[in-house]
Amino acid sequence: MKIIGEKINGTRQRVKSAISARNAVFLQDLARKQAEAGASWLDINAGTLPEREPEDMVWLVETVQEAVDIPLCLDSTNPAALEAGIRAAKLTPMINSISGEASRLEEILPLAAGAGCPVIALAMDHIQIPETCGERFAIVQKVVSATRSSGIPDQQIYIDPLVMALSTNIESVNVFIETLKAVRAEYPDIHFTAGLSNISFGLPARSYINRTFLTLAMVAGLDTAIMDPLDRELQAAILTTQLVLGRDDYCLNFTQAYRDGVFSDR
Amino acid sequence: MSKKLINAIADMKEKEAVSIVEEMVKNGSSPMAILDAVREAMDIVGRRYEKGIYFLPELILAGEMMKKINGIIKPEMEAAAPKGGRGKILMGTIKGDIHNIGKDIVTFMLEAHGFEVLDLGVDVPFEKFTEAIRDFKPNVVGLSGFLTLAFDAMKETITAIKNAGLRDNVKIMIGGGQIDEKVKTYTAADAFGKDAMAAVTLAKNWIGG
Repeated sequence: MKIIGEKINGTRQRVKSAISARNAVFLQDLARKQAEAGASWLDINAGTLPEREPEDMVWLVETVQEAVDIPLCLDSTNPAALEAGIRAAKLTPMINSISGEASRLEEILPLAAGAGCPVIALAMDHIQIPETCGERFAIVQKVVSATRSSGIPDQQIYIDPLVMALSTNIESVNVFIETLKAVRAEYPDIHFTAGLSNISFGLPARSYINRTFLTLAMVAGLDTAIMDPLDRELQAAILTTQLVLGRDDYCLNFTQAYRDGVFSDR
Repeated sequence: MSKKLINAIADMKEKEAVSIVEEMVKNGSSPMAILDAVREAMDIVGRRYEKGIYFLPELILAGEMMKKINGIIKPEMEAAAPKGGRGKILMGTIKGDIHNIGKDIVTFMLEAHGFEVLDLGVDVPFEKFTEAIRDFKPNVVGLSGFLTLAFDAMKETITAIKNAGLRDNVKIMIGGGQIDEKVKTYTAADAFGKDAMAAVTLAKNWIGG
């Protein structure tokens, strides 16, 4: 299970202010903390007005990679911003994201293929998230045929089956897991990801919901997640789930995490 | 009866609320009395939501109950007095964005405070807003958007309203996750709001009531 650290996102007020004030110290601290907590990638979302986004993206990439040496995950639908970000990145970045939307495939896929970037692909086209597994699966098929023809191997693709808020759609997780299983059966080499915190939007006690969802999704085959690596409960849930699923030989990761104080003892 | 209806809605008892309404209609209660009770219940629900006692699902269920009850009393309403004594508001999520939760909460709160709201839904093209301004004649237009691409879409929507010669007929408020003073200026809206209550306050100040 690998983590894409979600915290450097310009849609969050404090990060937004730090980006516009060019406050490198704050953002580098955020980057370091996430890397130390075990993130494999750091999501980078400038979240600014479109005309400023390429410039802000480059500054963010340069600022963050001064502080950490893990790859970034460039989070934008703006091809100009992605292109600038790819050029500024020292390590091959992940692209977040493409979807079944034709314009995004046409504009973003060549960038990703040219630079050998792993790509997150959303199981939706245009802007409406399909309700059913069948519709989402059909979009994934379309996307994968496009990524294959542009020369990107399935191992580089991270499908996001899309998780909607349970508060507005009680079947959300069931559809997510059904979609994930269908895609996995058809494309055994493909990876999966999910924006974790969306599931609990609008509800109290969100941490419990996030943990339970993560556990169920991991059982189904989720192998990466866009989440807050500093969330200790989530980290504990990942370690425990991997242990229970038999993916932790001699329970070493679990006992080491215990020694490191990840689990609070009663 | 009204009291029972208010409690049933406020306490999330959908079946009970519907059967009370059906009974009230049978016994000849005026649709206005039923609507007043619904409005009062919605007020309670809104306050509980603001206090953190209720959450989004309760808000959605309350909205569903309101729709159901409206459906039951619609035939009775056809002949009754026009509603919306506090003026008319046009709502929609702008082109290219399908986030509906925030917009739905704002719509719900505005209705609970007695405004007549026409909700155009999500991913609303510019011309649909201008058409609706002509036909529905709202006092206020609320544009909602969550994505960063909303900034441009809002700007273009407001430009389209201006080009249609309708800009002076309406006050325009915008809202969404990332909307701030800068975005307000960029889009040429009249005001922005941080939450649903801000929308109610803005509308009250503009329309009165």
